[in-house]
Amino acid sequence: MKLNKKNILLFLSVLGPGIITANVDNDAGGIATYSVAGATFGYSILWTLIPITIALIVVQEMCARMGVVSGKTLADMIRENFGVKTTAYLMLFLLLADLGNTVAEFAGWASAMEIFGVSKYISVPIGAFLVWWLVVKGSYKIVEKIFLFACTIYLTYIVSAVLAHPPWGEIVLATVTPSFEFKPSYLMMLVGIVGTTIAPWMQFYIQSAVVEKGVAVENYNACRLDVIVGCILTDVVAFFIIVACGATLFQQGIHINDAKDAAVSLAPLAGKYASALFAIGLANASLFAASILPLATAYCVCEAMGWESGVDHDFKSAPQFMWLYTGLIVLGALIIMIPNAPLIAIMLISQVANGALLPFVLIFMLILINKKELMGEYVNSKFFNLIAWLTVVVMIVLTLVLVVQTIIS
Amino acid sequence: MTPHQLYLSSVLKRPLTNAAGQLLGRVCDLAITPGEEFPIVSQVLFRRDGQTYAIAWDKVVLFNPRVISVSSSSADIASHQESEGEIHVRRDILDKQIVDVNGAKIVRVNDLKLGRHNNALCLMSVDVGFRGLLRRMGYEKLWGMFQKEIPEREISWEFVGHLEANAARLTLTMAREQLGEMHPADLAHIISRVPRQNIRTVLNSLDDETAGEAIHELEPELRSRIISELDSERASDILEEMSPDEAADVIGDLTAEKAEELLGLMDAEDAEEIQELLEHEEDSAGGMMNNSFVSIPADITVDQALQRVREQAAEVDTIYYAYVLDADEQPLGVVSLKELLVHDGALPVVEVMTENLKSVPIDADPKDILEIIAKYNLIAVPVLDEDNKMVGIVTVDDILEIFLPLGLKHKRHPSY
Repeated sequence: MKLNKKNILLFLSVLGPGIITANVDNDAGGIATYSVAGATFGYSILWTLIPITIALIVVQEMCARMGVVSGKTLADMIRENFGVKTTAYLMLFLLLADLGNTVAEFAGWASAMEIFGVSKYISVPIGAFLVWWLVVKGSYKIVEKIFLFACTIYLTYIVSAVLAHPPWGEIVLATVTPSFEFKPSYLMMLVGIVGTTIAPWMQFYIQSAVVEKGVAVENYNACRLDVIVGCILTDVVAFFIIVACGATLFQQGIHINDAKDAAVSLAPLAGKYASALFAIGLANASLFAASILPLATAYCVCEAMGWESGVDHDFKSAPQFMWLYTGLIVLGALIIMIPNAPLIAIMLISQVANGALLPFVLIFMLILINKKELMGEYVNSKFFNLIAWLTVVVMIVLTLVLVVQTIIS
Repeated sequence: MTPHQLYLSSVLKRPLTNAAGQLLGRVCDLAITPGEEFPIVSQVLFRRDGQTYAIAWDKVVLFNPRVISVSSSSADIASHQESEGEIHVRRDILDKQIVDVNGAKIVRVNDLKLGRHNNALCLMSVDVGFRGLLRRMGYEKLWGMFQKEIPEREISWEFVGHLEANAARLTLTMAREQLGEMHPADLAHIISRVPRQNIRTVLNSLDDETAGEAIHELEPELRSRIISELDSERASDILEEMSPDEAADVIGDLTAEKAEELLGLMDAEDAEEIQELLEHEEDSAGGMMNNSFVSIPADITVDQALQRVREQAAEVDTIYYAYVLDADEQPLGVVSLKELLVHDGALPVVEVMTENLKSVPIDADPKDILEIIAKYNLIAVPVLDEDNKMVGIVTVDDILEIFLPLGLKHKRHPSY
């Protein structure tokens, strides 16, 4: 693509889906997972980021491509090609995984507020209500812009990582040198990292976003660029979170039990304000994702099952949609309010659930995207198929091993 | 034997046997042909060992959820060669989206009801309800134990509008007609929910005028996308049928090249009218006004005025007010349709008209326009240019749209 005014304007006009998805990707579950990864394994886990980024780009690009070429959402395509039974079961599992994710978002919100000394019994109901009210009553576009702007907080991780003066040579080496441990905790971490970066709900989300935006097939290259940039952005942030935690927590042997511990990673930048800074970032990420995730899930399930959907409806005109949406938020909030709920552990497990569901969604996607009657000349290249199938196989193996290990122990 | 009524889900994947009881395969689909009233099942398709075979409907002996048998030997089963444009029920209709013409919305087909009609097996209705969903998944009985009344919804075939290009031929005339009679706002709602590829199918079943009205009701982004993707001839035809201010709205959202192309294809007079409107700022009286209105001279009677209104009514949208203009096109007064109907036909119009009419300048702010319309309870307010000539009217619905609170504007999806 030539770098001229027309193309730049074109890029800006299709900008959105990729960048937004990228920022939502770094939600509470993401921050928690990357932080724990860095704190527990230090720089040695950095190598996973490159293969994961490649896999993420491949997966997201496939969904964006399907959305642009077919003009249909992923849920629609699965329904129309695999029938209602398969779709219903898939939606059920997606719902469960997304409930887990929603719980994680509220966990993040509760943790962040706890740093400010606000009890979760106060912060969570307020947060849940805020999220519900913002989406149902507010102007979504404004809300989105506010959250997006607040995402610039992630820059603090980059600065913090630099200020910690970590051994960059060692880091670069670790990023390109794979190392593997067969411990259940390591496997769980791997599945969690993949799950939080390539979360199934994001595939549905980006395809819906692209369809909604109405990107024309001729403008696909600009759209693809947006997706790639978004994916790289996500993992750059993940990289710096891991480095920042590796340089601080890992070196000092601190294990993350709650958010206050994770905040230490920002100490090089903010000193005694590290906690506050971390809390703001986590709160923003949690609330942002909490307002998008239940909504996207409700839309997805309702569209697949053929139920009426839309936030301008009420419980009479779109009962399934409103119940799903409200239910996810209420249930998510309630679970967090259970006394002594282990917030960080919850955030981690929800991402592992993502990782376990991922292979199934990927298999469906791969079947769909290789169908000529659906994609025309835009079917997958051999390279894409290779990477995608490899990801599927690796994830299935990892998940199986994890399950087996968990059962044994 | 053709059963009285059965559901597609109850026959799919069922074994197909011949008269001797040999298993020939499993039913995988039904081929149908468009019929006068309902589509007719012409062939039964079944699979065996990975291959698809077809057998004509007249060879079918028994066809019900328990037994499906045909009267031919394995010798005359031919491997299925699909002909051009053949429609298969499971592939092209089941699980796809259709337009519920009666309810003016898009729904998804969960199941299909087949029935006997004129000695043939026909598609009678689509099941879009929860019961159909449960039936497909095999949970109908189970659910029935917990909930006595399972919500069900079936749409008779006359009210089904098909979206897939392949199945579009199945849409009955009645459905097409009903679609064309729908209110533009409802049509626009449907169009906004139809997958992009299928929008053309819907537009093809509408005449230019209806299409234009529906397109105007859409959100600007979707609207300009659809117009840009239509073939230019049709797009310009549709724009010609729209009232000038609506066409100006639509053209205003297009790229300069596309706008020029479409204006070039249009009737010169219509194009000129639109271009006049495009010259003004979007958010001013000039940008919102409709430059076609009813104008009458001052020296006529009430009867003659009514006659003029009748003559101009075909081309003008808002005929409730007739504006009395002098030779220089400057307004002398206004007379409403009610006044014309109520008063004696022989009276001169000047005695009936309201002088001192309220108007707005061509660069007026939307707020000022709203104030005048609200204060004087008007349906439309005339717009005057710098020479005090009347150039158009701003109608109350256009002003309302600008001031509609954000919460009331139709929100389909959160905008990504």
